[in-house]
Amino acid sequence: MRIYLNQIAHGRSGDKGDTSNVCVFARKPEYYGIIAREVTAERVKEHFGDMVQGEIIRYDVPTLQGFNFVMKHALGGGATHSLRLDSLGKSMGSAFLRMQIDVPEEEIK
Amino acid sequence: MGKVKIGGGQGFWGDSNDAAVHMVRHSDINYMACDYLAELTMSIMARQKLKNPKAGYARDFIGMMKECGKEAYEKNIRVLTNAGGMNIEGLVEALAAQASEQGLAGMKIGYVTGDEISARIPQLLKEGVTFDNMDDAGDFGDIKDKVFNANVYFGHEPTLDCLKQGADMVITGRSTDSALFLAPCMHELGWAADDWDNLARGIMAGHLLECGGQGAGGNFDYGWRDVPRMDELGFPIAEVGDNEFVITKAPDCGGIICEQSCKEQFLYEVHDPACYLTPDVTVDISQATLTQAGENRVRVGNIRGREKPEMLKLSLGYHAGYKVAGMLSFAWPDAYEKAQYAADIILKKLKRRNLSAEEIRVDYIGVNALHLGVAETDPEKLKDLNEVVLRIAIRTLTKEEAYKLVPEIAPLQLNGPPGASFFGGRAKVQEVLGLWPCLIPRDAVNLESHILTVK
Repeated sequence: MRIYLNQIAHGRSGDKGDTSNVCVFARKPEYYGIIAREVTAERVKEHFGDMVQGEIIRYDVPTLQGFNFVMKHALGGGATHSLRLDSLGKSMGSAFLRMQIDVPEEEIK
Repeated sequence: MGKVKIGGGQGFWGDSNDAAVHMVRHSDINYMACDYLAELTMSIMARQKLKNPKAGYARDFIGMMKECGKEAYEKNIRVLTNAGGMNIEGLVEALAAQASEQGLAGMKIGYVTGDEISARIPQLLKEGVTFDNMDDAGDFGDIKDKVFNANVYFGHEPTLDCLKQGADMVITGRSTDSALFLAPCMHELGWAADDWDNLARGIMAGHLLECGGQGAGGNFDYGWRDVPRMDELGFPIAEVGDNEFVITKAPDCGGIICEQSCKEQFLYEVHDPACYLTPDVTVDISQATLTQAGENRVRVGNIRGREKPEMLKLSLGYHAGYKVAGMLSFAWPDAYEKAQYAADIILKKLKRRNLSAEEIRVDYIGVNALHLGVAETDPEKLKDLNEVVLRIAIRTLTKEEAYKLVPEIAPLQLNGPPGASFFGGRAKVQEVLGLWPCLIPRDAVNLESHILTVK
């Protein structure tokens, strides 16, 4: 079945210059493996398309059932240059978590 | 084993004072640290100081101390803040005058100067410092004549020095947020400057507190509906000892301290969790644990530290042109289509006026101004929107070019598609403040600690 990532994950976005970081955590420990499998840096890059111009790195933190995604050249130039309404990328977290993934139904009971 | 209790009283310049006042009144903290500085803040303060030499610091902190400074002093809660921004002495003078009026003679205000080094750039260039941009964003030669502030992110040393001299309050400029929390830990628990594991814990305690409410149920994605009494949101408090620490909050306030609330703040604005660089220590949280240890109590464990980085981060602010954004609202029916039509009119007019812009951006608030390329695009869903706000923004090299957009918005109320409504007054052209992060050697910076006794 196809689900929004925010059904099994929660997170928060922050900024440093033009770099956005989104940390993503499994809502339940059993979802950690699904996120690890489905939400690769490549898949995230594809999700964001032109919105993120630079490289995306995923760091895994299994003790927190979480991941930290660091996305470069992601904020239209950053806080000062950016013409975006949300120049600090406060909504990058929710933009990230509206990514859709395909998951076998029995995995998300 | 000793323990120190530190509260986080402020998340940014412009934050509410309510939680800070509450924790001074109702908790048993020993210290409160208040972070006022985001990346851009120093540049804004530099601009304010240029217009008015008496400005350039976070005035809000004076208001906070008016409300709870006397009580903090009487309860022996020491307050630390980087509210000094670009005018540390200015803030210290204002605080000393206020404290004197409050009858707090004898109170010691410590302060740290020396983080602003723009005057020394020519000399440092001669000495071989290259100011290479950490984000690979161009050549320093292109911006070096447009720099208006250069602040070093410094660690615990001068702040700890103030505490050792008996400061009841410490005011700094660009201290890292987390060092304001680390310094009291070192002072109270006697940690050595190379006790890397403990230093890393102090930094992460600070990291969980430096954003105020965001560490206690504010901006909480996991379950914001379940956060009690968000209108009385408390800010987090750390109880720090050797080997571990606990995050909690003051009694009788709103908010939540749980594993998920701590997780969301734990990795916030961290890049590589195994290598989080601060001036004090290189922090490794890649194996860290967060465990619920009672109601509104979370124990943080397994944080490691290693040798601090050789260089310090320097953030330069420079003039980078101008920008302006204009907005116009449209209502059902066909709100989105009308807004798009209006955008087309404005862009044609700007072209006719030979606008020379570095960037032009058109967004539709209510459709895609936040989620941009990942927003919903199904025409069926967008057709019946109740309302849409058109937003056109431009970035230019000169003020005159930016101003070309300003008079073009309001006329569309009468000259464009039906139902346009102009609000908020004419748009204001703003200066674009560029940020230039780079690294400099530690010995390029001379920080000084001072103590002023209130009369």
